Amino acid sequence: MQIFFILAIPLLLSIVAMLSKDTKRLSFLNSLGHAIVLAFSACLVLDTVNFSEPKAFFNFFYIDSLSVFFIFTISVINLASSLYSIGYTAMDLKEGVISERKAVKYYVLFNLFSFSMFFVTVVNNLGMLWVAVEMTTLVSAFLVGFYNNKKSIEAAWKYIIICSVGISLALLGTILFYFTASQHGNINSLNWTDIVSVAKKLDPRVVKAAFLFILVGYGTKAGLAPMHTWLPDAHSQALSPTSALLSGVLLKTAIYAVLRFAIITNKCIGIGYVSNLFILFGLLSLCVSAGFILVQKDIKRMFAYSSVEHIGIITLGFGFGGPIGLYGALLHIFNHAVTKSLMFFGAGSIVKKYHTNNMNVIKGVIAVLPFTGIILIFGVFALIGMPPFSIFISEIIILIGGFKAGFYFPSALFLFFAAIVFGGMLFRFGKILFGKKPQDMAAGGERLSGKLAFVFLFSFIIVLGFTIPGFLNKILLLAVEIISGA
Amino acid sequence: MQIDIFLFGILAATFSMVASKRLNTLISGFAAQSLFLALITFLLAVKNNNLELYIVAGLLFLIKVILIPYFLRRVASRINVSQDLGLFVNSTLSVFIAGILTYLAYLFTKNIISMSLGGASSVFVVSLSIVLIGLFMMIFRLKALTQIIGLIVMENGLFLTAASISGGMPFFVEIAIFFDVFLCVAILGIFVYKINRLFTHIDIDKLTELKG
Repeated sequence: MQIFFILAIPLLLSIVAMLSKDTKRLSFLNSLGHAIVLAFSACLVLDTVNFSEPKAFFNFFYIDSLSVFFIFTISVINLASSLYSIGYTAMDLKEGVISERKAVKYYVLFNLFSFSMFFVTVVNNLGMLWVAVEMTTLVSAFLVGFYNNKKSIEAAWKYIIICSVGISLALLGTILFYFTASQHGNINSLNWTDIVSVAKKLDPRVVKAAFLFILVGYGTKAGLAPMHTWLPDAHSQALSPTSALLSGVLLKTAIYAVLRFAIITNKCIGIGYVSNLFILFGLLSLCVSAGFILVQKDIKRMFAYSSVEHIGIITLGFGFGGPIGLYGALLHIFNHAVTKSLMFFGAGSIVKKYHTNNMNVIKGVIAVLPFTGIILIFGVFALIGMPPFSIFISEIIILIGGFKAGFYFPSALFLFFAAIVFGGMLFRFGKILFGKKPQDMAAGGERLSGKLAFVFLFSFIIVLGFTIPGFLNKILLLAVEIISGA
Repeated sequence: MQIDIFLFGILAATFSMVASKRLNTLISGFAAQSLFLALITFLLAVKNNNLELYIVAGLLFLIKVILIPYFLRRVASRINVSQDLGLFVNSTLSVFIAGILTYLAYLFTKNIISMSLGGASSVFVVSLSIVLIGLFMMIFRLKALTQIIGLIVMENGLFLTAASISGGMPFFVEIAIFFDVFLCVAILGIFVYKINRLFTHIDIDKLTELKG
């Protein structure tokens, strides 16, 4: 039942935003709404943990523990982003970068975007899944091109064109799955549950070709190299609260779509094929992103490439497979979403203050923005995988999964690229966080709502670094069962 | 039999699009391609006496033969875009490449699909080759409007692929995809306006502010 509230509240909020004129009140209402959504999704998690049966409504919605895990992740990041948006839009308004009307439009798009992401995770029909993923692109394109300047429009154009092409290939893959399901499985349905139930009867050769299209197609949206080229542009040009959503959860919804097809493919032809493809694309993403992180000067592009890296790690984890690898990959999805959102918020505050993205110019953040600076120190350590933060735990679990499954060489490569990123990031951030602050720059100007968002996300990073709470552990285990097809 | 004729029509329209050097011929080519597609769907509807397919054929005609070409022409005349397509690969070579892509589609169908499909594989060859040619047009035609057309050519190919196997996808999925494609074209149109206003041209190869 909770799912209807989770879907309805963002829609309702976007309607309220359309009618509203007072941005300040609207931004608070927005956060309140997303707090309620988070409460509902927490209820949904507890419900699923206790009863663990998939729920289906009207032969259209299908919610199992895998969807619930993604819903929970999305609602956490949504709440954080809506909190951070309060201060961010207020600053933009004060500086006259956007008008009051434009700020209202932002909240309309924000809520439509979060609705479309929730929608991806709850539909049963694979054709509707495609429609939902395309909807996320179309809505977020406006958020990428929000400032209407040359750079942001260029980024939005590339984003929408490249992702639409990718997703067309995914549609071809979906059609091929439907083809073999109707020819060999004797069902005239695109429902995931139906196709999984006849997975063993499907034609292996068609399934292989179809999954390749799916992986390349949705992989484009997920930001896997070499189809990632839209990602650094879009993430660096979007508003910082939106960058967090794009990087933290949008990429993950595409991964979710791939996973649904991977489950069918694994059931049909065994795990070797999907696993090898995942490892290949994962390593490629790690390799490409490590190179770009080393030479990057733009702070937001750097985080964008770091997203490519982490998507690579997640894919690698799914490729290693086995209960441990899958568990690690899922946990990494959550950890990366939380940490990367925190970093994008930090980068957003820095860019707002210094009015530049260039890391050679930004210096002395600790002195100028004390709170943000200190959180960012810990954030960087968390992001590059230092203990005792959450990403360290999930990366270690993925590595253990890799060694257990006998993937020694890919695991070693993973460590090698992670080390490069480790060095590159630490070097860059040492320079911008410390160093001498520009003389004419006044310290301070951090908003309470922004700090709240930082603390909210940071508490996840710390807690998950030491222990995995019972409910999260249980939902992850249930989701692992679904992916491994048990 | 009629289906084969219409299939030939689709393929011919696609090749004429690849060869065309002017924007208006490109748009007309797309309208012709969509018209043949609507006719095929109509034939399938008559053959199976299927109400849903009649509706799909009607929608195809309305959206892809009338609305989208009209919309594209309107955008083109509003922003005064030059008719020259700025071919990155000249039209002779393009047609040659399109021929190769069609052959690749044939090979894929012969080796992977036809074993399990039996009769209808020529539809599949044509549809897959249209998808590939659409992709080719998106990559090698560097004007904003031609990229949009490449995208909807791909969608047309996908639609035909879906229709070629067991009479199309479930009805409401088909409708949702229609709606989505139309929305996508409309939104891209909005961005063409924005690009034109900011850059005073719509040459995608000159959008080079973002690097690395």
